[in-house]
Amino acid sequence: MAWSLLAALTIGAVGVSAQTAAPAEQAAAPTSKNLAAGFNSLPKGTKVVVMPVDIELFSLSAGGIPEPKADWTETASRFFKSALLKEEKALGLVTVELSETDADALDEINNLHGAVARAIAIHHFGNLGLPTKEGKLDWSLGEAVRPIKEKTGADYALFNWVRDSYASAERKAAMVVLALAGVALTGGVQVGYSSLVDLNTGRVLWFSRLARGRGDLREEQPAQETVKALLDHFPVVQ
Amino acid sequence: MNTPIGGQRGAWGKTAASGSSRRWRQLRLAATAAFLVAVLAGCVTAVKVESGQHAVGQRLVFNLEGPWNQIKLPNAGLAEIWTMEGLPVDQLLVYSGLKDGEDLNAATAAGPMQGQKRSFTFKSGMQPEQIVQLFEGMFTRDGSTFALTKLEPASFGGSHGFRFEYGLTRKVDNVQLSGLGFVAVDKGELFAIVYLAPRLTFFPRHVARVQQMAGSAIIRHGSS
Amino acid sequence: MQRREFLGFACACCAAGWGSIARAQSESAAAPGSVADWKVPAKFTRPDIATDEGGLWALMDREETRMRRSPFLIRDQALRDYVQSVACRLGAEHCPDIRVYVMHTPMFNASMAPNGMMQVWSGLLLRVENEAQLAAVLGHEIGHYLERHSIEKLRDAKSRLAFGQMLGLLGLVGAVGQLAMLAGLLGYSRDQERAADRIGLQLMHRAGYDTGEAVKIWDNLLVELKARPDGDPAKNSPLFASHPPAEERRETLARLAAQYPGGVSNEQALLDVIQPMRFDWIVDEIKRSQADESMALFTRMLAHKAQQPDVLFARGETQRLRAKGGDMEAAVSDYLAAAAAGGEPPETHRGLGMIYRSRGQAADEKASFARYLEMAPGAPDAAMIKSYVEELNG
Repeated sequence: MAWSLLAALTIGAVGVSAQTAAPAEQAAAPTSKNLAAGFNSLPKGTKVVVMPVDIELFSLSAGGIPEPKADWTETASRFFKSALLKEEKALGLVTVELSETDADALDEINNLHGAVARAIAIHHFGNLGLPTKEGKLDWSLGEAVRPIKEKTGADYALFNWVRDSYASAERKAAMVVLALAGVALTGGVQVGYSSLVDLNTGRVLWFSRLARGRGDLREEQPAQETVKALLDHFPVVQ
Repeated sequence: MNTPIGGQRGAWGKTAASGSSRRWRQLRLAATAAFLVAVLAGCVTAVKVESGQHAVGQRLVFNLEGPWNQIKLPNAGLAEIWTMEGLPVDQLLVYSGLKDGEDLNAATAAGPMQGQKRSFTFKSGMQPEQIVQLFEGMFTRDGSTFALTKLEPASFGGSHGFRFEYGLTRKVDNVQLSGLGFVAVDKGELFAIVYLAPRLTFFPRHVARVQQMAGSAIIRHGSS
Repeated sequence: MQRREFLGFACACCAAGWGSIARAQSESAAAPGSVADWKVPAKFTRPDIATDEGGLWALMDREETRMRRSPFLIRDQALRDYVQSVACRLGAEHCPDIRVYVMHTPMFNASMAPNGMMQVWSGLLLRVENEAQLAAVLGHEIGHYLERHSIEKLRDAKSRLAFGQMLGLLGLVGAVGQLAMLAGLLGYSRDQERAADRIGLQLMHRAGYDTGEAVKIWDNLLVELKARPDGDPAKNSPLFASHPPAEERRETLARLAAQYPGGVSNEQALLDVIQPMRFDWIVDEIKRSQADESMALFTRMLAHKAQQPDVLFARGETQRLRAKGGDMEAAVSDYLAAAAAGGEPPETHRGLGMIYRSRGQAADEKASFARYLEMAPGAPDAAMIKSYVEELNG
């Protein structure tokens, strides 16, 4: 099964950006790299609209070809979303959801954000920093986000994107076979980003990315763990 | 829309978004993968282009107001790629002295795609429409759609040339982009700057600087 | 990969039908199979998501959402309603489950997903000559849907993929082996295509269409196919060396169609609905830069109905852009014929102007460009063309 090109581009961008960071896995401590200049907290009770979560789960066949698994994705979407809402509530935020019709209307902005997220992954978190950005998280969608605010009344929008692959039985078998030959195969990769956009200015205020070899979105508890990992650097809510 | 399994492919053809553009996708994917690998390896770098005088190639000079970022690739040809917000968002292509018979595409960041059949060869005698068609062909080889919105004579670099505006709907992620290009053919060589950015927010944000840059351009008449 | 290259050309008639040939079996002279005893199955219920079929539906549902939001979706309501109505007429009791999306893609294709989502590309709507031909294609796709061929394909593919990947992993299979394996993945099997052809014809007949039109589609596709510069598709790939599958398929359809005489073709209904968009689609076709195929298409369209100003313009433009041998003279001839027919696109005169310009025929150039500017003062390149005229004025 072929990757969709877009998924591949984004995974590549996020994956590459994560690889260039020193630790093998995402550090837990919040860093200023995740925050835009001059921003570090949200007031309690802030209204955040959760944009349609873009999740896709794949099964890795023996040869490493990822096959989309719709039932896993369906389950993962539900777990992820409920974990997200729970986490937001715990943080003291008010969550607003988007209807399917509204999501249709906001599709262009959603796509635009996707392109900006890839740029942030490559140029802010990766080693291809843009000198004019001066090492800061300095991206803004400007007026483009206004329709989101108009439709939802929220002050911030949270975008989430996750691609997750799991080794199929054949893959696991292949891993064993090749391990004997001294070849290491990955068992699957969890890649994602989470982004908080100010709906009054369009600024990307917070961006977090995830790239690791573990995590399981197909079960409720581990799904909550993934959400926690993504939101680990979330700004303080006070 | 790439699921190879399931009713996406009719009996009549899995061409285009299948067939040819699927092939382009695969090549594009390979090229992108190569790019990302290069980024990892540190072969691709971003350098600041400062305000003030800046030369591209042997014959083209700009006087910039405000800095840009240039993305440097290991096999860069005669074109440069600049950006303000990052490659997935906006791109400024700068051509300086592309010669008769040279390929527009080979000179840009994407690099020559293995085995691509279509080439975008510049010929000195080309009319403006034909040059626009070259760019159009290059921008649409992945299935994106192009719509010319304006083509008019304009001076560029002190040479008699043209300016064109267009819209592009990017196939891979459906982002709608706006484009602006300035072109002149001087002593049989092509000089151009072409800017492409999302029509929402980003194109309006940076277009004035592109126009300023175009206005400041000088094509030197030295031999190349 | 050679096969993909081959598949990547205009009029399609590639993929599945051909893919099935790529697999082992050669076509026997078997009888088309009995159509009389096939019955339309009852409406489908949504399968459990945990099953492979359910998974496929869910995948298609997400694709459908993307398509609904896509800038490439054609949103003209009259067109959508028209194509939907044809699909509904064919699908009968399954009509409520069929959802048609017309996409802005200049190739001949239509497909249907197991969740009822049907895609029809603008290249197909440009190429069919009447409603019956459209019905033939849609009926064929509905045939695949009713027989759930996608699920069969998926199951087959999964076992192939696992097997192939295992082999690949162990380095046991080279390019040819992978090609053969993938070829099987790419299209419906030959039996499935035959079944869909049979069912499609039945549905067509039941809905009152002239089944003979299904044969004409293949005739027309063959014309485009043979126009490729390399001529014989077999030369492109050893996989197709022994059989001309399109011709065979055409013969089979012709034999089947003979069993269902009568029915209408409804040419005008189709032409009326696509009229507002046809010029755009013609321009899309020209922009594919596959001049030989475009020439075959436009010539065929003119053979069917001469004096179509937009098609005469299109053929003229294609030749002007190809610019080989006697193309320029032929282009002028076509442009002039378009103008003579009346109702020609303004670009006809721009094309003439460009040719005169390249020949240094100043007076003719000026007259043509003036006419263009008169007919299309707001054209994107008006300022450019105006500057050419001013150049001539001295």
